[in-house]
Amino acid sequence: MRWLRLSLRLFLAAVFLYAAYTKLRQPWLLFAMSIDAYQLLPAWAVLTLGRTIPWLELLLGLLLAAGIGLRYAAAGAAILLGAFFSVMLQAYIKGMGIDCGCFGLGEKISPLTLTRDGLFLAMSIALMCLARMHRFRPAISQ
Amino acid sequence: MRKAIAALVFLLAAFAAHSAPVKGRGAPNAPIVLEVYSDYECPHCKLLYEKTLVPLMAEYVDKGKVYLIHHEFPITQIHPHAMEAACYACAAHHVGKYEQACEILFRDQAIWSASGKVDETVCSILSPADAKKVRTLAKDPAIAAEVQQDMQEGHSVKVETTPTLFLTYRLKQYPIPGAVSYDILRRFIDHLLAN
Repeated sequence: MRWLRLSLRLFLAAVFLYAAYTKLRQPWLLFAMSIDAYQLLPAWAVLTLGRTIPWLELLLGLLLAAGIGLRYAAAGAAILLGAFFSVMLQAYIKGMGIDCGCFGLGEKISPLTLTRDGLFLAMSIALMCLARMHRFRPAISQ
Repeated sequence: MRKAIAALVFLLAAFAAHSAPVKGRGAPNAPIVLEVYSDYECPHCKLLYEKTLVPLMAEYVDKGKVYLIHHEFPITQIHPHAMEAACYACAAHHVGKYEQACEILFRDQAIWSASGKVDETVCSILSPADAKKVRTLAKDPAIAAEVQQDMQEGHSVKVETTPTLFLTYRLKQYPIPGAVSYDILRRFIDHLLAN
């Protein structure tokens, strides 16, 4: 269990750090345009998320890598990945043919990207459960 | 010197890539070049054209800040009349009525895509003489070849869906995802121009 938790934690940390890197290395308005292409939010929300999501991903990546506040970091990762997955799925069902915006530009939403992000979501949920189990284990053993 | 050579190489490459007539609007020497690959039967392309490109043309293209290039990219697998519409738009370009054809094709998209009456839609905004020329040209294999060339260019830059946009500024190309809203695109253009 410990090795599984460690593997999931480090893998998800790498995913979030890479996602943050691909967004922060380009003008933030390009990522805002990726969010805007989903046609779900007003301009002010698009601009706010375009500025903040890459930094949130960086923070989650660092917390996961360091193992600090793992339960909260894993829950945050699951919420973020759940939100990404649901908006990607609805865009795919609508046949919007837009970029997913996951790791920079130029990656269209496809069954492949949905499967990949679905796996990331499952991993983050598993990590969240493992982190909770780990927290309660000492109490059970007493 | 290096910048001048790079600019020359870019211009030569652009010239080679656009051996077919370029459906451009604005000043070709504008600091920003925006290339749009679209399909007249695609609802998201209609949205992009009406909500983003129309105000962009008024505020940036016609003021010499952006050079807009249209590319035909009909997705014939799902849009049965898209190829015919693209041929009519290209034919209209040859008589100097591309913008008008483009506008009416997007405006009446729901009508002609249901009825298949592309000819009637485009010719409704042309004079009888122009309509006659466009009808003849639209059936010319050379026009179909122009559309195919646009599509090949699209495939060469990995265009898979429509609308797809590429914004070029100082030799750097930025892919713009989907039907981006005018407000966000405007901010990005302003950001680039401010630099």
